[in-house]
Amino acid sequence: MPAATPEPQPNSSSPPEDGRKPLFSARGLEKVYTSGAGEVRALNGVDLDLYPGELVVLLGASGSGKSTLLNNLGGLDLPSAGTLTYQGRDLAHADEDTLTRFRRDSVGFVFQFYNLIPSLTARENVALITEIARNPMTPEAALALVDLADRMDHFPSQMSGGQQQRVAIARAIAKRPEVLLCDEPTGALDVKTGITVLEAIEHVNRNLGTLTVLITHNATIADMADRVVRLSDGKIVDIQRNPNRRSVRSLVW
Amino acid sequence: MRALHLKLLRDVGKMKGQMIAVSLIMACGLTMLIMTRSLIQSVESTRNAYYERYHFADLFCDLKRAPNAIGNRLAQIPGVAAVDTRVVGRMTLNLPGLAEPADGLIHSLPEGRPSQLNLLFLRRGRLPETGSRNEVAVGEAFAKAHGFEPGHEIAAVIHGAKQRLTIVGIVLSPEFVFESRPGETLPDNRRFGVFWMNERELATAFQLSGAFNNVLVDVAPGQQPAPVMAELDRVLAPYGGLIAYTRKDHASASRLNDELRVLHGLSIAFPTVFLSIAAFMTSAMLTRLIRLQREQIAQLKAFGYSSRQVGSHYLQFALVIVLIGLSTGTVAGMWFGGNVVSVYKRFFQFPALTFHPDISAIGLALLVSSGAAFAGVIGTVRQVMRLPPAEAMRPEPPAEYRTSLLERLGLGKLASPAFRMILRNIERRPAQALFTALGLALATGIPVVPGAIRDGIQFILNFQWDYAQRQDITLGLLEPGSASALSDIQHLPGVLSAEPFRSVPARLRFGHISRKLGVIGLPRDATLNRVLNEHGRPITLPPHGLLVSAKLAEILGAKVGDNITLEIQEGKRPRLEAPIHGVLTDFAGLAAYMDLEALHRLMREGSTVSGAYLSVDSSRLTDFLSRVKECPRIASMAVKDAVRGSFQKSTAEMIGMIQGLYFSFSIVVAFGVVYNSARIALSERSRDLATLRVIGFTHREVVGLMVGEIALLTLVALPFGLGIGSLLASGIIHTASTESVRLPLVLTSRTYATAVLIVLTSAVISCGVVSRRIRHLDLLAVLKSTE
Ligand SMILES: Nc1ncnc2c1ncn2[C@@H]1O[C@H](COP(=O)(O)OP(=O)(O)OP(=O)(O)O)[C@@H](O)[C@H]1O
Ligand SMILES: [Mg+2]
Repeated sequence: MPAATPEPQPNSSSPPEDGRKPLFSARGLEKVYTSGAGEVRALNGVDLDLYPGELVVLLGASGSGKSTLLNNLGGLDLPSAGTLTYQGRDLAHADEDTLTRFRRDSVGFVFQFYNLIPSLTARENVALITEIARNPMTPEAALALVDLADRMDHFPSQMSGGQQQRVAIARAIAKRPEVLLCDEPTGALDVKTGITVLEAIEHVNRNLGTLTVLITHNATIADMADRVVRLSDGKIVDIQRNPNRRSVRSLVW
Repeated sequence: MRALHLKLLRDVGKMKGQMIAVSLIMACGLTMLIMTRSLIQSVESTRNAYYERYHFADLFCDLKRAPNAIGNRLAQIPGVAAVDTRVVGRMTLNLPGLAEPADGLIHSLPEGRPSQLNLLFLRRGRLPETGSRNEVAVGEAFAKAHGFEPGHEIAAVIHGAKQRLTIVGIVLSPEFVFESRPGETLPDNRRFGVFWMNERELATAFQLSGAFNNVLVDVAPGQQPAPVMAELDRVLAPYGGLIAYTRKDHASASRLNDELRVLHGLSIAFPTVFLSIAAFMTSAMLTRLIRLQREQIAQLKAFGYSSRQVGSHYLQFALVIVLIGLSTGTVAGMWFGGNVVSVYKRFFQFPALTFHPDISAIGLALLVSSGAAFAGVIGTVRQVMRLPPAEAMRPEPPAEYRTSLLERLGLGKLASPAFRMILRNIERRPAQALFTALGLALATGIPVVPGAIRDGIQFILNFQWDYAQRQDITLGLLEPGSASALSDIQHLPGVLSAEPFRSVPARLRFGHISRKLGVIGLPRDATLNRVLNEHGRPITLPPHGLLVSAKLAEILGAKVGDNITLEIQEGKRPRLEAPIHGVLTDFAGLAAYMDLEALHRLMREGSTVSGAYLSVDSSRLTDFLSRVKECPRIASMAVKDAVRGSFQKSTAEMIGMIQGLYFSFSIVVAFGVVYNSARIALSERSRDLATLRVIGFTHREVVGLMVGEIALLTLVALPFGLGIGSLLASGIIHTASTESVRLPLVLTSRTYATAVLIVLTSAVISCGVVSRRIRHLDLLAVLKSTE
């Protein structure tokens, strides 16, 4: 595994060299869960800026708050404290309708457990999203992007895990989102299948210029990123820029 | 939203068994709702149009005899829109093919002036021509019962004179929608008919030439009837006028009203019960579905479907149930309604009674069924809507089990591990177990109702005809006669014993409320027609005062000791007073009894009799009947066996239909509830069951676990169900109890056994279906699934 160039900590959340405006901007982000057992501080003061077109990998131990951060970015959940803006708009205090609109128009999600609707075919699963999106591609085009043009009329139960996950990616990108959020998309897949899925994600990031945030436990995957963010106990402990990011094909597994 | 609709369709397809089960239960309620409301609407609108078009009078009054000129005075009474004066009388008929004489009411048709009120609807033939002789028009029900057509001749005795009458027309009249002897519960169309004849001829026959004895009045719109009635009574008093009465006291009109009132009651009670069960079941089903689809809900939300869209998606499942239920209920409601109308056609004579589906009832059905379904699921759907997407992403926390109550009581050792699992499962979802048991209890309760109705009717029949009326024949005299009339009757061939009775037509009044009926005087030591208490023991008539039906006392608002005014409608028409000396529970009509001697004293008359109860030697019955037919003084005769036979025939069909309806309802509910809860339990526990199978439990043992739970609930539900059924039966019998019939609540072990059998059979069948599903359970697929 080639070493990434370290970057000085204070600048970790500052813009990359070209001075573009960030899409997401989080400051002092906190998320506290109160359950019967007591309080869990899942996020404990996160400062982070994310830029258009970047591919960012989130690394961290189990329970370090990766999913929580991703859910907050994607408007699935609200932070307990701190600020979070998307294109300058406040997400931390948005009402439900605003969050729904935000998710509908701007965000695509890919989860670990493919999460397709089992009663709908691949095409229909994608159509589920294109029907409500503002400026979608056709389900067929989205499925072609992930190389599944020949499986369009299969039900999830008739597809392999990798194929299902690619349908999920097609579904996430069909709306042409500005942001693609992937929570361990290869977590349930073998390496080979995982690669096809990552290629699809990379393809989308490269060709559609979609800001992509990817959670993984596999440090190797970090090499395909522009930046690698490490979380521990709800805090960002390290951000590394990867000046010469590598293609998925060339990663060493 | 097309893709979401596809999802809905496919999900519905997967759970169609359960959805259909719930829909059918809903359909039962809607069937009843649509049927009863459509019937009400059909009968009411037909009746109103009929009354309107054929000028059914508002007020009626009988009198002894008034010259025709008085008719003009009546027309001048303020508030009167129209008046018809008529001659009305009783006649007896000697019909071929009928051993006993039949009787009827014959009415005059005006000559030389148009009929204004109670116009006749001519079905076939024509009306008697002016100046014609012996021509009659006859009511359709009677004509049908005998196959009479225009041109047929019948032998009649009118006012003691034998006549041969020619039927020229078959007619209907708004005053005989219910074509029966006044006061009778069910029509006996073979033995009672209504006739119309030319006025002059009929008046001559009744020795009423130039006079009338019956008045019909139409009250002008917007006018109060009461002052008109008072004035009528005043004008007619010198002519032996009886007190005028409204449609409320009119035999046919009030019988029809009673029927509508019963329908109204049923149209509320039934749908409420069924829709509540359906609401519970929809709720259980949807709660389960939503639990299963937690992750799908999360996805939809994550991808930008709003809470409202997701919520409405799940509400649509309820809507599908409603739509299936509604369409089934509509079809079944129409079908049953059509059948009921054909039964009604036999009881109620209208020019045309067709079943009109009440569209607004369907609308109402849609409203209440979606109301019930949505009420059942709204809580669950709200939960879905509130579920934060990030939360929904995580699988539901594992179910919390605890040791069952039995075990906590330290009795766990008594139960096998399998039984302990069953108990814990039931305790884990107490609400669901409760609703299942409740549904089963209702399913058990529903078939109790028709059983109770059947046995109630049987009880009345036995009570009335085996215990109370032990006479074979009841003879009524044309005019009240003296003791000599009784001895004439006693000497008819075959008469074993005869008991006189006196029937005094009167209006019983207490305060503002009054009812018309015949006060019956009976010998104190009567052995034939006896007054019985509700336990079937003879009551000795008090030496003075009245013994009245409890229902009559209730209607009048009077109690024992109150003085009732008797406005006697016979002879000099005195206004008398008599105290209520006791009330009795009886089952049909309203009655007031007095000791015969006391009645004579009250009326200041000798030993007058109105007729007699006879016990007749059955081997000489034919002899007896042919002599009676020749006897001009006899106005009416009821042969008990014939009346009982006709009553049984007309009720048998009704009971058959009621039973069919309730039994199908009950099967639907029992099957639906068991099947549904078994399916839900199966879906919740398929993982456990698969695991058990994998670790070596046999199919039989696994099925035993599932079935054991339902069996336990069924056993618990059965006794409650029989209780609920008894309450239900009592409620429905109470709703259906009118002035004309009041069924007693009779619950027999046969009824209970039938109910239990229906539920057990349905439960066994649906357990069988579930057991097959367990056999076909794909073990690996279940274990691999994420849930
Ligand atoms: N709804 C919740 N209620 C209570 N605690 C929660 C909730 N969601 C997350 N947590 C806690 O917050 C912390 C961070 O959780 P999070 O899911 O973000 O971790 P993660 O980094 O994604 O872990 P993993 O790699 O295992 O997915 C954990 O301790 C978790 O138990
Ligand atoms: Mg996680």
